[in-house]
Amino acid sequence: MKRIKSMTAKRAYPRSYANPVLTLAVAFLMLAATGSARAELLIRITEGANAAIPVAVVPFAESGTMPAGDKIGSIVRSDLTMSGQFNLLAPEKMLSLPSQRSDVYFRDWRMLGQRYLLVGQVSREGDQLRARYELFDVNREQRILGETASAPASRARSLGHHISDKVYEAITGEPGVFSTRLAYVTVAGQGEDIRYRLQVSDVDGKRSKVRLESGEPILSPAWSPDGKKLAYVSFETGKPVIFVHELATGERRKVADFRGLNSAPAWSPDGKSLLMTLSRDGNAEVYKMELASGDLTRLTHHWAIDTEGSWDHSGRGIFFTSDRSGGPQIYHMERLGGEARRITFGGRYNARPRPDANGEYVYYVHQREGEFVIARTHLDNGQESIVTRTGADESPSLSPNGRLLIYATEQDGDSVLSVVSTEGGAAYSLPAAEGEVRDPAWGPITR
Amino acid sequence: MTGHERESISTGTAPWLSGVAFSVILHGLIAVLALVGWSWSGSTPPEPQPNAISARLVSPEPKPSPVVEEQDREEQRQKERERQKREEERQEAERQRQQEEQARREAERQAEAQKQREAERQRQEAQAKERAEQKAREEEAARKKAEAEAKERERRRQEEERKRQEEARRKAEEEKRRQEEQRRKEEAERKRQAEEEAERKRREAERRLREQQLEALAEKQEQEAREAERRRREAEAARAREAQMLSESQKYQGLIRERLSQAWYPPSSATEDMTARLQITLLPTGELASVKLVNSSGNTAFDNSALGAVRSLSRYPVPDNRDTFERYFRQFTIEFNPERLR
Repeated sequence: MKRIKSMTAKRAYPRSYANPVLTLAVAFLMLAATGSARAELLIRITEGANAAIPVAVVPFAESGTMPAGDKIGSIVRSDLTMSGQFNLLAPEKMLSLPSQRSDVYFRDWRMLGQRYLLVGQVSREGDQLRARYELFDVNREQRILGETASAPASRARSLGHHISDKVYEAITGEPGVFSTRLAYVTVAGQGEDIRYRLQVSDVDGKRSKVRLESGEPILSPAWSPDGKKLAYVSFETGKPVIFVHELATGERRKVADFRGLNSAPAWSPDGKSLLMTLSRDGNAEVYKMELASGDLTRLTHHWAIDTEGSWDHSGRGIFFTSDRSGGPQIYHMERLGGEARRITFGGRYNARPRPDANGEYVYYVHQREGEFVIARTHLDNGQESIVTRTGADESPSLSPNGRLLIYATEQDGDSVLSVVSTEGGAAYSLPAAEGEVRDPAWGPITR
Repeated sequence: MTGHERESISTGTAPWLSGVAFSVILHGLIAVLALVGWSWSGSTPPEPQPNAISARLVSPEPKPSPVVEEQDREEQRQKERERQKREEERQEAERQRQQEEQARREAERQAEAQKQREAERQRQEAQAKERAEQKAREEEAARKKAEAEAKERERRRQEEERKRQEEARRKAEEEKRRQEEQRRKEEAERKRQAEEEAERKRREAERRLREQQLEALAEKQEQEAREAERRRREAEAARAREAQMLSESQKYQGLIRERLSQAWYPPSSATEDMTARLQITLLPTGELASVKLVNSSGNTAFDNSALGAVRSLSRYPVPDNRDTFERYFRQFTIEFNPERLR
């Protein structure tokens, strides 16, 4: 994140100082505008509203036969609500339902306290759906986004998520994650009938699809960086074995089937290697395996259990869990084979580290007063904060933009996947249709 | 100085006095001479011209006794007395002789007298004639003489007059000179006095000027002091006003900050080192007249959030005081820079 900031700053300066004459002229104009040499009043705003941004998404006008299911506007509204960053105006409160700029009366929307307004129309053209939409800044009365997008009618939700992503990015300045997918494992049935299902769905839980079904446990699904493969642990052979599963073809490959434990796969940023925990040497240690050659590199050397390795944001070091201090704690190894530094100190149980993409925080499962919650530690100052408080929280996974966190928990005795804003905003839950839902993994942004 | 003055006056008077005395004496002499001359020529009756010799006995005039010294006086008086006795005797004899002589002579004289009377009468007749002629001649002469004398007198008178006039002229001139002198002196004195006066006046003027300058200086200093005091008070008042304006402005700055904070939705991509600077212009009613992004954060969403926040306020809280408004809120800069992100 730091690097990104300084880069933007460097980009900004040459732009404004590119032309010295212009700069001088601007300086003079500013002086003249000020009228005198006295310093102009400067008001600094250092805090924003601690609230979601009011956005109005007007139901899209439709022409032609629409596919069954949610309408595009509803999908977008739902997506934006889910993100926790927006406060969507209920359509019944709208004074008008414009679908294009000429119908928009900004004053009405300003009166309703709206910041942004999305209007659009969807039309059916053969088996294609065509959406034309515009996003307006209500106070500036400016269009900040306008696009026409189309998709097969069968993929109306994808079209909706695409629009959500565009709107999200236009307003927040970062990519939306509405088109990404989730992987998770459901457990249904009892005894002989128990079924473990590896499923993949949209981030809103819709369009879920079972990718693997087994009578034996399936654990720890992990997305390849390109979003095309999943690595996971399956007990189908009677012992934990790591597989890599090609989603498009359904092709599966056993990549780690060593003596003892084969667990906790994690993809390298380049997608060429996997971190994994192996006990082939008698004790659980973190290894790196080159997928092409199957070459292994042992990264940890400790008599205690070292497991759950995951790459840090730089792609050079790893976080992992170790009970070398007596109980599970999070450690960071800045360089492979280097010194491991302990990150967590709060409580006796901190496990399953999930670093964010910009190196600011590491998230993990934290035991607190007998309950399991998701916590995070700031990597610069070591400060720990609690992110979820539901209790029985496990398996955290971050959205690619780092704004949302999904984890498995229980709600009123039901097993659910819960999504929260990492900044403590709104949350939504994806309840399991039946049984339990576990080990969610948030997929990457794929374009 | 006055002493000198007086002295110069007295020395001037002395010759004048001597001149006057001299002239008086001279005039006196002239007058005497004129009188004598006049009595000689005019007042004496003409002596009858004897045309026959006549004798008359005249007793001799006693001779004046010689002057003797005091010590001889008794002896002389003795001698005198003897001489007088002898004289008296001689004189008695003489008198008898004379008486006799007289009687004889009387007789003769009577005869003679008769004769003479006749002759006399004749002679007198001739004489009368002569005298008449003479008289006529004399009268003529007298007339001529009188004329001459008159002429002379006239001449003298004229002379005198001339002299007098001369004198008068001289005197006048003298007087004039004196007066001239006096005038000159007076003039000089006046001039001197005038000069002194001028000098005095000059000095006075200088003094007054100096005084005036000093006064002016004092006045100026006082004025400057007053001015400084006034400025100080004004500055103080301005400072007070300024302070008031500042405190008022701070109040409204706080209000604006609060409103904008509530109206600002920093995008999730915002980081603490992003800063967007906007210059805004307000109307005195608090309405937004214009907004300009003067410094981009480099993040469009961030810039938009700032612009949106600024534009979202329908009315800015601004002071009623127009000065404060103009000074601080007509145009100002708002900086959006998150310090604590959600």
